[in-house]
Amino acid sequence: MHELSIACEIFEQVMATATEHGATEVKHVTLQMGRLSHTNPEQLSFCFKAIAEESIAKDADFIVEMVPPSLECECGYTGTIDEKQIRESCQFKSELLAYVAAMECPICGKEANITGGRELIIKSIEIETENQD
Amino acid sequence: MLMHVIHMEHDVYKANDKVAEKNKKRLDKHQVFSVNVMGAIGSGKTTLIEEAIRQLKEKYKIAVIAGDVIAEMDSSRFRKLDVPTVPVNTGKECHLDAKLVEKALDEIDLNNTDLLLIENVGNLICPVDFKLGEHLRVVIVSVTEGDDIILKHPMIFKTADLAVINKVDIAHAVDVEAEKMRDDILSLNPKVPVILTSKHDWESLETWISFIELGIKEAQKK
Repeated sequence: MHELSIACEIFEQVMATATEHGATEVKHVTLQMGRLSHTNPEQLSFCFKAIAEESIAKDADFIVEMVPPSLECECGYTGTIDEKQIRESCQFKSELLAYVAAMECPICGKEANITGGRELIIKSIEIETENQD
Repeated sequence: MLMHVIHMEHDVYKANDKVAEKNKKRLDKHQVFSVNVMGAIGSGKTTLIEEAIRQLKEKYKIAVIAGDVIAEMDSSRFRKLDVPTVPVNTGKECHLDAKLVEKALDEIDLNNTDLLLIENVGNLICPVDFKLGEHLRVVIVSVTEGDDIILKHPMIFKTADLAVINKVDIAHAVDVEAEKMRDDILSLNPKVPVILTSKHDWESLETWISFIELGIKEAQKK
């Protein structure tokens, strides 16, 4: 499990940005997590809260938005995997395998390259400041 | 009191990728070919690396980075073969990352290295998301892990440049078909070369070693 070290990295980045902007409290932390990344959102949130305990981010809402995988094919197709289609057609119960199995180009049927869905992005934070400017 | 939303758009994995890119450039500058050897605990990573060292060390200058929760044991095996070895203790971490490799590179005489073998922590999950700056991503899987192991860990096979199915000599004893494992790998990653190896079958080891040698030669042409 590497959620703890990733949570540490997120905490450091969030605190640096919050301090830079004169925050007195961090209210929200919003992440975007690719569905193909090997990170568990609940564990990550748990770790973040544990690390943030003594900080101005201790009460922050930790929001994780899941990002579907996106594909690029040599035929020119680019787009995301249709999640609804996966749920309807896939024989696999495992989410990760279902996504990996669905990585053929919907136009020409060839194996497409994964261009997105493995990321872990700190999208934004919402902070409170005392300044009136 | 004022509320502000601050857009950060900071990608945690990309931060690692950037350091990995830097590592790769540094290795390219010195014409070092680097291999990231991934695989589960007991898949045979250390043994296959040892075999490669034995066969290639007269022709090429080799260095090893041995990553593990406690890395000293594997690194002492490599040192016995008289190659410079840097143990990287990850402590509690389940994978090597680009920063750990960057630090380890400081301890290696890159001017005197043709091949850098990096043994990752025994794990089929976590190393996937962390590039190190390698030229070749190898995943080693042993038949003892069961023939459903591949579909259970799709991403590592999907992103590998070379897949090795090891210990095929005992496949029958553990009731596993190596060919099924090969088919599963190809179903996830149709273009990846798959080789079947056994420590006791010299020919199979030669195939594994020739893959590495090919990479070294390519790197030296650049």
